[in-house]
Amino acid sequence: MTKRRVYLLALIVLVGPLFYTLPISKLPVSVQQHYYNVFGERAYREPPAGISNVVAPLSIDEICSPELAAWRAAHDIEGVQITAVADCMPDNPWDIAVAVKGANNVSPATLMKSLYALDTVEKSDDRDGDGDPDLIRIRLEVMELNGKSPDVPGPVPRFEIAPGITPGLWVFAPKSRGMTTANFETADANRLIRLPAPVIRVEQGDEVEITLENSHYLPHTIHFHGVDHPFTTPQGAGNDGVPTFSEHPTMPGKAHTYWLRPRHAGTSFYHCHVQPHSHILMGLQGMFVVEENRPGNWLQTFNVGAGRVRAASVAVREDYQREYDLHYLELDADLNNRIQDFTDPRLISRSIHRDYDIVERRPEYYVLNGRSFPYTLRESLIVSGAGENNLLRVLNGGNESLALHFHGHKPILTHRDGVELGAEFSEQRDVFSIASAQRIDLNLSTVNDGRDAYGAGAWLLHDHREQAVTSNGIGPGGGVSLVVYEDYLDEHGLPQTVGGLQSLAAFFSPDYYAGKLPVFAGMGPHHFTDVAQATWLQRHRSVLFGLCLLIWMLLLRAFLRSRRV
Amino acid sequence: MLNPRASWRTLALRIFLLSLAAHFASVAFAQAPHHAHHDHDDHAMQMDANGMVMNSNTENLPQDCASVSDDVSIDVQVGREFARTGLTYGFSAHVWRVPPCARLRVTLRNLDEVRHQWMVHGLPKYLYPQGMFHLEANGRREVTGTFIVPSDDGTYLVHCDVSHHMEQGLKAQLLVGRGAGDLPSIPGVSAQRRPDSYE
Repeated sequence: MTKRRVYLLALIVLVGPLFYTLPISKLPVSVQQHYYNVFGERAYREPPAGISNVVAPLSIDEICSPELAAWRAAHDIEGVQITAVADCMPDNPWDIAVAVKGANNVSPATLMKSLYALDTVEKSDDRDGDGDPDLIRIRLEVMELNGKSPDVPGPVPRFEIAPGITPGLWVFAPKSRGMTTANFETADANRLIRLPAPVIRVEQGDEVEITLENSHYLPHTIHFHGVDHPFTTPQGAGNDGVPTFSEHPTMPGKAHTYWLRPRHAGTSFYHCHVQPHSHILMGLQGMFVVEENRPGNWLQTFNVGAGRVRAASVAVREDYQREYDLHYLELDADLNNRIQDFTDPRLISRSIHRDYDIVERRPEYYVLNGRSFPYTLRESLIVSGAGENNLLRVLNGGNESLALHFHGHKPILTHRDGVELGAEFSEQRDVFSIASAQRIDLNLSTVNDGRDAYGAGAWLLHDHREQAVTSNGIGPGGGVSLVVYEDYLDEHGLPQTVGGLQSLAAFFSPDYYAGKLPVFAGMGPHHFTDVAQATWLQRHRSVLFGLCLLIWMLLLRAFLRSRRV
Repeated sequence: MLNPRASWRTLALRIFLLSLAAHFASVAFAQAPHHAHHDHDDHAMQMDANGMVMNSNTENLPQDCASVSDDVSIDVQVGREFARTGLTYGFSAHVWRVPPCARLRVTLRNLDEVRHQWMVHGLPKYLYPQGMFHLEANGRREVTGTFIVPSDDGTYLVHCDVSHHMEQGLKAQLLVGRGAGDLPSIPGVSAQRRPDSYE
C-alpha cells in the first residue's frame, strides 16, 4: 500500500512540471482554445535577455603589426626609389628593391633582407642601350596553403583570407629560400607565399624566360593568357601551357622554362592550364603586366600580393600619380577545402579532378588581392590625393562575371584585355562588368567635378553582386575595399570610421564570420538585435515536457498495475 | 597572422611545434652556454648558385662534449625517385644514427629540378641560432655542411620546409646516441597520426 501512495504522490506532484513545460503553442488551435478557456491566460514571461559585451575591445596591434610600420616610408635602396605608402601592412621594401634590380644586381645585404633566392629574378643585357635590362629570368614555384598535415590538426601552412577563414589554396610563388613559415613559432606562411600569385611586370620587347619549378605534388603548367608568346620556345619546347596540345605538363620535382618577347603592352593574365576547371580556381593564377618600352625603365618584376605598385614604370608615371593592381577571385570551399581531407596525392587528385563537379559550384568566399574584408583594409585600399589620376589594373580571375562599383566616382575605362580603346570607345561608368578572365584598365580620377569624383571621403569599392560583399553569407565581407582620400586615413593607414577602431572590432573576430555574433553587436551591448540568450529551462522546455510526460505515464502504468495485485 | 584570437587548431599546432622544439632542445636550455663569445645576432649563412648552408659549425663543442667523438659523413640524396607509395618526395634514407658529440658532415644531393632542404631542428641554441642547421640545394645541385651534435641521447627532426614537402615525404630523423624514440610519420619507420582513409 505504501508503494501505491508513493506512486500517487509522484503522479500528483508531476502535474506541476507538466503544466509548466506544456508547449501550448504547439498544440492544435482548438486544444489551445480549451486550455485558455479552462485555465485562463498564462502569467507574463520575460523574453531572454541580450548578451552584453560580446565583442572584445580591439587594439591596433591586432590589426597592423607595429614591426611593419617602418616599411611604409619612402625608401631608396641601391638606387631603387620606393614610394611611401600608408598601408597598415605594406610590402617589404627590400623585396621590392630585389624585384626591381634583380637578385643578381643587388648586394648580399639587400638580398638577405628580402626572402628571394639568388635566381628568383635575374636581369641583364641592355640590348637597346636605353639604360634598362632586356633579358629577364624569373623563377616561380608552386606552393600549397591551408593543406592537410598528417600529424597535426589545422591547415598548414596557414593563410587567412579573413579572420578564421582558411580555404585550401594552390599558388604560384616567386622562388624563395628557407622556411615556408614566417618564423619558427607560427604555422603562418611567410609573406611571399600567399594568394594571389604575384603580379609579374615586364617591359615591352624584353626577352623573358619564366621557369616553373613544380615543387607541388601534381602536374602543372603556365598559360600566358593574352600575353604575346610563340607556340613553342626557341628550343622547340611547349610554350602555351596546354596539356596534350602544346606540352607535357611539368611533373612534380621537374622544371620547365617558358619564353616570351611581348610586342605589345597591356594588362594580362597567367594561370595553370592543367585541369583548368579546378587548378585555376584553386588559386594558380596571377596578373601579368607588359609595360610600354621607355628608357631607364626598371620595373618591379613582382608585385607580391598585388595592390599598390611602389616602383611604377616610367610610362605609368608619365600619366598617373599612383598605380594599383586589383585581382578578384571567388572560392568554392567545396573545391578548395578538399586538400584538407587527404595528404595522399592520389586521393587529392581523385577528389579534386573527378569527384568535384564544377556544375554544382557555389562559391562562399570573394577575395580582392587574396583577402576578404576586413583584411582588405590592411593592404588593398585605393589611397589617393584629391585631383589625381590613379591607374587601376583589374583582373577577374574568378568563374563569374563581376560588377565592380565605385562609390563617389565614375572612372574611365581606357583598356580592355590589354588593348587601348581610344577616346572614342572609352567609357565612363560607376559599374564595370568584367567577364571571367577579363582585364580592364581604369583611370580613377579624383578631380572633384561632380562626375569623375564627388569629393574627398572614404568611398566604398565593391562588386555589386550582393553575395560578393559577404563571406559565406555574412556581411560585410568578400572583396569589399575603399577609395580613401589621404585626409580620411588614420595614422595606421586605416580608413577613418564612424565609431573609431572599436567599430571594426566585430569584423576582426573569427566569431563574426562563423555567424556567432549579431551583426549590430558593435553598436551597443544591449542593442535590440543582440543575440537573445535563452535560459537552459527555456531552451529545453519541449524536451522537459516530453520527459515529464514519459515519467508520468510510466508512473501511471505502475500505479494501475500495483492496484491489480 | 596578427589576430590573437587564433583558432584552437593553430594553437594546438603551435603547442605541438613548441613542445617538439622544447623536447629536442631540453639539453640546450638546461645550462648556461660555454661559448658566450659566439655571435648569434644573425644566422651564419653561405649562399651561392648551389643553394645555401646555415649555421655550419666544425669547431664549437656542445657543452658536456670534451672533444669531437667521431667524424661522420653522410651522403643524402633527395628527390621524386625516393618517394614511398602515397607520397611525392623522399630522401635516400629517413633515419641516421650518430654517436653523441659526433661531427656530422652532410652532403645533400638534389636529384630533382626544384629546391629541397635538409633542415635539423632542436639543436642547442647557444651554438645554432634558432636551434637549426640547414642545407638547401637548388635543383640538380649539391651542398655540403658540417655541424656537431649534442652529448645527450636525442631524436632530431630533419625535414624539408618547402610547402608540403614534409607532408609529402621529406621528413626524417637524426638519432644521437640511442635516440629518444621515433617521431610520427617518418616514411618507412612510423605511422601518420592523422592517416588518410582509403575506404
